[in-house]
Amino acid sequence: MLHYLLRRVAFLIVTLFLATVVLFLLLRLLPGDPANSLLSVGATPQQIAAARHEIGTDRPLPQQFVTWLGQVATLNLGHSFVSTLPVGSQITSRLVVTVPLTLLAFALAIVISVPVGFLAAYKSRRWYGAVLGGVSQLGLAVPVFWLGMLLVVIFALKLRVSPSGGFPADDWANPGAALNDLVLPVLTIALVMSASLIRYVRSATLDVLDSDYLRTARALGSSFVSAMWRHGVRNASVPVVSILGIELATTFLGAVVVESVFSLPGLGSLLVQGISEHDYPVIQGVLLVSTFAVLVIGFLADLTQRLIDPRLRAPHPGAAR
Amino acid sequence: MTSAAIETPQRVTARRRRPVTLVVGCVLAGLIVVVALLSLFWLPYSTSDLSGGRLAGPSAAHLLGTDKLGRDLLTQLMVGARIALEVGCGAVVLGGILGVAAGLAAGFATRWLDDTIAATLDILIAFPVLLLAMLLVAARGASLATAIVAIGLGSAAIVARLTRVLVKRILGQDYVTAARTSGTSWPRIVAEHVLPNIWPTLVVNLALQLGVAVLAEASLSYLGLGTPPPNESWGRMLQEAQATVLTAPLGAIAPGVLLIMLVVGVNLIADGLRDVADPTRRRSR
Amino acid sequence: MNKKAVALFGAAMATVLALAACGTNANGGSSTGGTDTNATINVGSLYEPQNLDDTAGGGQGVTEALNGNVYESLFKLNDDGSVSNLLATGYQVSSDGLTYTIHLRTGVKFHSGKALTSADVKYSIQKVLAPNSQSARKSSFTAVKDITTPDDSTVVVTLTSRSISFVYNLSYVWIFNDQAKNLTTSEDGTGPYQVGTWKRGSTLTLKRFAGYWGTPATNAEVVFHYFTDATALNNALLTNAVDVVTSEQSPDALSQFTSNKNYKVNNGHSTTKLLLAFNDRVAPFNNTLVRKAITSAIDNKKLLQSIWGNYGTLIGSMVPPTDPWYEDLTNVNPYNVSLAKQELTQAGYPNGFTFTLDTPNYDPHPTAATFIKAELAKVGITVNINIITADQWYTKVYQNHDFVATMQEHVNDRDVVWYGDPTFYWGYNNPQVTEWVKQAEQSTTTAQQTALLKKVNEQIAKDAASDWLYLYPQIVVANTDLSGYPINGLNSQFYVYDIKKS
Repeated sequence: MLHYLLRRVAFLIVTLFLATVVLFLLLRLLPGDPANSLLSVGATPQQIAAARHEIGTDRPLPQQFVTWLGQVATLNLGHSFVSTLPVGSQITSRLVVTVPLTLLAFALAIVISVPVGFLAAYKSRRWYGAVLGGVSQLGLAVPVFWLGMLLVVIFALKLRVSPSGGFPADDWANPGAALNDLVLPVLTIALVMSASLIRYVRSATLDVLDSDYLRTARALGSSFVSAMWRHGVRNASVPVVSILGIELATTFLGAVVVESVFSLPGLGSLLVQGISEHDYPVIQGVLLVSTFAVLVIGFLADLTQRLIDPRLRAPHPGAAR
Repeated sequence: MTSAAIETPQRVTARRRRPVTLVVGCVLAGLIVVVALLSLFWLPYSTSDLSGGRLAGPSAAHLLGTDKLGRDLLTQLMVGARIALEVGCGAVVLGGILGVAAGLAAGFATRWLDDTIAATLDILIAFPVLLLAMLLVAARGASLATAIVAIGLGSAAIVARLTRVLVKRILGQDYVTAARTSGTSWPRIVAEHVLPNIWPTLVVNLALQLGVAVLAEASLSYLGLGTPPPNESWGRMLQEAQATVLTAPLGAIAPGVLLIMLVVGVNLIADGLRDVADPTRRRSR
Repeated sequence: MNKKAVALFGAAMATVLALAACGTNANGGSSTGGTDTNATINVGSLYEPQNLDDTAGGGQGVTEALNGNVYESLFKLNDDGSVSNLLATGYQVSSDGLTYTIHLRTGVKFHSGKALTSADVKYSIQKVLAPNSQSARKSSFTAVKDITTPDDSTVVVTLTSRSISFVYNLSYVWIFNDQAKNLTTSEDGTGPYQVGTWKRGSTLTLKRFAGYWGTPATNAEVVFHYFTDATALNNALLTNAVDVVTSEQSPDALSQFTSNKNYKVNNGHSTTKLLLAFNDRVAPFNNTLVRKAITSAIDNKKLLQSIWGNYGTLIGSMVPPTDPWYEDLTNVNPYNVSLAKQELTQAGYPNGFTFTLDTPNYDPHPTAATFIKAELAKVGITVNINIITADQWYTKVYQNHDFVATMQEHVNDRDVVWYGDPTFYWGYNNPQVTEWVKQAEQSTTTAQQTALLKKVNEQIAKDAASDWLYLYPQIVVANTDLSGYPINGLNSQFYVYDIKKS
């Protein structure tokens, strides 16, 4: 286990370094001039040159790269070209929104999809099993922005029970107000996420219900519930945990459309703004932090699977990687 | 991430609903395809006909009403169907070719290279297609081609990961090992052993990717990164209709309904195909 | 608004507006019952500052939020375009018009506590002129030769040539504390508010400044909430998350407010013009007839109606009714398809031609481009719409002049003078116009300046230098609880210190 942990950590550091290099080069390869974001109609060529000098994009690329690398090594992500705010603190202020949003949506999605998925499998011959399957089909096909828009119209504009968007200026100083602002966005993400999770839970459950070990346990006299509990849950959760890891990682940045619909100042919208302004330090910072998050989530998912399923702890996990 | 994650959904709809699934899927998606094909030859109005009056409601002349420029909504929906299918199919073809190639390469690669490719794919998959699209649009401008490339690259990563796992499994079979040790060239192994065994699963996955691609195109257009005007995509129509959702709700509902029809249809076809392609999965508990 | 009335009573109306601006009558809403002087006003806007320094690329948003509220200038620009004293108590001009002696108000304190002196004024003007200045007004001050500070409350500016707009231009120069640091992320001004917190991408909070030299603000706190989507902003107003929207950009949603007793829709003046700008250097748009034909082929009235419903104004040239040299020129190139066809034939394009229209990707440009494409198809011209980002616009169109035609909104007042600069992106080159613009700036009287700029305006309209599609409306929508908010959006200013909540 220790060997495994060390290997993963080393892998994480190497990947992060490579990501840093690739990010830096990719951004510079793209056409576009960060100085343009500072211009107004009426700017003179001298002002444009001054803007480039101000943000340092007129310096040679290797020099810019060394500067950026030095900053990253000291955990300093630099300053935005446009707002001149420190990138680190900007990211922190966005995580205050994104992390609760992602985790709450994730938790709600699990609460919805596990029982529904199980029921859809266990009662698949009953009409409601089929209905549940059909509803999840529908959920997979709904564009997330459209769902958000409908929820806003119904709950914010018609019923007036929820705010239509935004986030308190003082963040979590008033937790009730902050949570209130997150209700609809969390619901939107959770519903869409549940639709795909239900399918995975359902199929994992079907596999378990079909399995020989469950049949054996039942033949040996275990009740269905205890057999399910002792063998089924553990087996069914291995593939589901893996999917959960992917879903969580994807939502981290993928919430950008939902953030847009609900005007939430999350990490995704910071990245979108950074890209549209060609604000390299911001783009680099956000992508670096989210790459880190993706790797850590992947690692945690892997670790959880190993804890659940002892077979994966064997020296050669085989097809698993 | 493990192979199990990719494999299990194949069993999802593997039972009673099978024939129904395929038929319903074909009907839903087929309707949209017919509309898209029809739009090539006939439209109720020209896309540049602005004579309908501002935000007119449904009438005999304009069955679904008009938008704020006075364009016929039905006409736009028909053109939108074409755009959705063009981008969806284009992206899946591109993603399929690139993804299978990368997956094969990883499958045959040394462990070190394979690990790297696997990790890269994991990271790529976690990054929304949207961001790739934004970067591309920032560089190349919004166009049909940009949308196809961005979405295609996104699905390539997913297809590559699946292919890699499938290839590994085939290569682990004894008869393939035997063929390899006896000196059969790898292109031959690919052609004789790998592709014939993996294509059914791939086709099913590509069909699922089509649904994902159609949704991605709508999201891109919603954010103004998709196909440029005057050819309105469903996503862009929804974005524009947002402002009038309370006063002219039809414009905000119709494109969404069609979008869902197409994606549900395509997903059902994928489920149906899975059973046809892989009858061993059919099971009765 | 009634365009004809403005044309007829131009000067008279300006006076009325100036007088009205002093009272609260010009402001929207009506004060009812008791007002809460400790209220927090929630303002919704689509224009977020990029940073807090208007000489470092802060953009339109920083003007809206901070101008007059946090930072003050020597002079204040009023709604009618006139200028009154603010941090200055008065000024003298030498008879040759080259020396301005400006007297400063005493007892003015910066938010940091330091007293305002002439050194701060000198520093602030130099900040606009500095090599690294990104101020949009830098080119207005090319005539400044020297700034001296004979004593703490006097500033003397000498110019190389007469500049009749000098005092007017000073109304754009924020007075910073010359000792202040980090002005892009914090502030030190003299205005009635201090910046509380700035959460980029979300909110900017202004708090009433206790040591303000003038009349204190009528509310304790103003929070600007920033949105990227006009519909989301409207929803926020509908759900009372914000009290007022600074500039409504989604006219389709206005009916929700006009039909609701809880809201007031105010239709004010704006200086934002939507232009179909030709590249006047290259064929076919180097031919005046072709430009005129296109101008006549597009039904601007219908375009305005499509995009803005019953709001907005047709201008026919670059000058909005709030500029002193405004004239109604909408009939110089009237909408007339057969005239357009005739002009095209005369120009040698009887069967039309094809051109690419570089269109920024944000509203209303794509919609307007779609409209133009459909209109020009009627005279045989094929338009290829090329959607580009703001960044691409600046590089491709603005800097490299690599375009044939483009669309852009121009927000500032008095910007007709750009037609006197042949190096400007649209490349309009008429030596006579260049000369008039130069002479106008060096005029000795405003009457002379006005007469010259009128000539400029008429000439560019005659030459169809660009197609001025329409003047944006300035629509401020507010909750009826609110009064005292500004309703005109000249240069995107938005004074919040008179806003009251009941």
